[in-house]
Amino acid sequence: MKFFNGRIAKRSILLFSCVLLFAASICFAKDYDQLFTEANDAMAQGDLPAAISILKKVEFEKGDDSGAFVRSRMQIARLQFALKDMNAASAAAKEVLAVYPDNSEALNFMASVQQEQKPRYKVFIEDCLRFLPQLLKGAVMTITLVVCIILISPVGGLLIALGRISTFKPVSGLCWFFIWLFRGTPLLLQLFFIYYGLPSLGITFKPFTAAILGLGLNYSAYLGEIIRGGIQSIEHGQMEAAKAIGMTYWQAMRRVIIPQTYKRLMPPIGNEFIALIKDTALVSTIAMVELMRSADQMFNAYFNVTALILAALIYLLFTTIFTFIFEKIEIRAGIYENR
Amino acid sequence: MKTANQPLLSLKGITKQFGSLTAVNGVDLDVCPGEIVVIIGPSGSGKSTLLRSINFLEEIEEGTILFEGQEIGYVTSKHGRRHLDAPHKICALRSEIGMVFQHFNLFPHMTVLGNVMEGPLTVQKKSPQEAREIAIDMLAKVGLSDKRDVYPATLSGGQKQRVAIARALAMRPKLMLFDEPTSALDPELIGEVFDTIRDLGKEGMTMIIVTHQMGFAKEMADRVIFMEKGSFVAQGTPEDFFANQMEHDRIKSFLNRIL
Repeated sequence: MKFFNGRIAKRSILLFSCVLLFAASICFAKDYDQLFTEANDAMAQGDLPAAISILKKVEFEKGDDSGAFVRSRMQIARLQFALKDMNAASAAAKEVLAVYPDNSEALNFMASVQQEQKPRYKVFIEDCLRFLPQLLKGAVMTITLVVCIILISPVGGLLIALGRISTFKPVSGLCWFFIWLFRGTPLLLQLFFIYYGLPSLGITFKPFTAAILGLGLNYSAYLGEIIRGGIQSIEHGQMEAAKAIGMTYWQAMRRVIIPQTYKRLMPPIGNEFIALIKDTALVSTIAMVELMRSADQMFNAYFNVTALILAALIYLLFTTIFTFIFEKIEIRAGIYENR
Repeated sequence: MKTANQPLLSLKGITKQFGSLTAVNGVDLDVCPGEIVVIIGPSGSGKSTLLRSINFLEEIEEGTILFEGQEIGYVTSKHGRRHLDAPHKICALRSEIGMVFQHFNLFPHMTVLGNVMEGPLTVQKKSPQEAREIAIDMLAKVGLSDKRDVYPATLSGGQKQRVAIARALAMRPKLMLFDEPTSALDPELIGEVFDTIRDLGKEGMTMIIVTHQMGFAKEMADRVIFMEKGSFVAQGTPEDFFANQMEHDRIKSFLNRIL
């Protein structure tokens, strides 16, 4: 039975193809499908010039509404484009425009050929001008975040540092735990937890608040350890001398110990803040539109690497400015050592 | 009731332990107003620890400290445990007792004037103008008026120590403690600090000086004390001390090593 059915099926397919061939030969003067198949084979083998010469055999015929001509010429245009022969590519597209002046595919193609024929730097500048407004908006947000954290985290860090060196065990233990927690888990995870995790506990933050909270806690933990190191690096005699003239612990800290840490703290804190500029990119994952997110949006919309290069340049500009500022502050903070 | 003969400072049975080591072992000492007491002795004999105990930089295990007849610094809790008095009280006591350290411990981020002003300004809450006037006076006293606006880093060791003395004096202390004030100085710089301290003594300042410098003992002391292993081994006026106590073997060998 099976054998019989198979034969029937084979025969019916054969018969059906014959009918189709006949119908096609009535409709078209020539059978272009064969040519397209050959051309595809040639392309599959990587022989683009061969594919082009095959496709050239397709000719324009009045009243042909199958689109074979347009299809073949546009294919040639794309292949020539790929072969970097812009003149041949535009010639193929022009052939289409000669008979169909409104063909949008050909018009778009001509535009991109023109774009391609421009000098590279012009293209780059145009891309820059196209992407910059969006990227600068993102950069403003990045800087806003950085400035907020630079204002918040030293205060948090100082409190944590003082807590860590406190002789009151519950306070020093709590600060130890805080540092352990926020230094020991990824910042990305912390941001996710605050923005996506806490709502399930009934606590919801706006993206900006969540970003400030996440970055602020994380950087306070890091600065806490740095500041503690700075305080403990000040010679013990300084605290004794301050106490000997009658200062309380807190007066000694405020007037004598902490001011002496500034110069020592500048290099590591500068380091942290430069890391911060780059870490703000992580908040793009919690619906914040800052520089990284803007660059990503531009890159995805235009599939144009210029957006990423520009973003990198803006980040570099920021980090360079910060490095410069921190060097200046460091020199000022240590002015008493050099006079 | 304060009488003329009442000691300014009176130590009774001061004992300080570091773990199993007894640094100061039941020391008694009375210091009268205007008296200059010089404590000498080998390293590790407990001289500095005793001095630091007077200023509560070390917390003693046993003994009492009386200042102007008042017992100071320690309270006994309900459970019978002895501990240092409340911080603000300790600070108030310290501001009446000046201390000068071996390594000066000047505040490097403040100018010379700033260092001397700091006590009156921050501790005594005096106005900046008032603190400044006091500091200017004190710097004149130690002969460093011209160094007012420089930072300590530019000073010589002797100058630093004189600033440290001025800083302590700015609090108008009733008692000055000197913890090896010349030990960190080059020999040629000892003289200026020595002279400054001697001038203070002439003005009637009560002082306790811990030192290895026999000049202090010989030239300005009212009383010389030899301390060893946490106890006072011998004491007397300089004349008496260097004439008679020299018989003491341990003192003799110590002085021979020093001189």
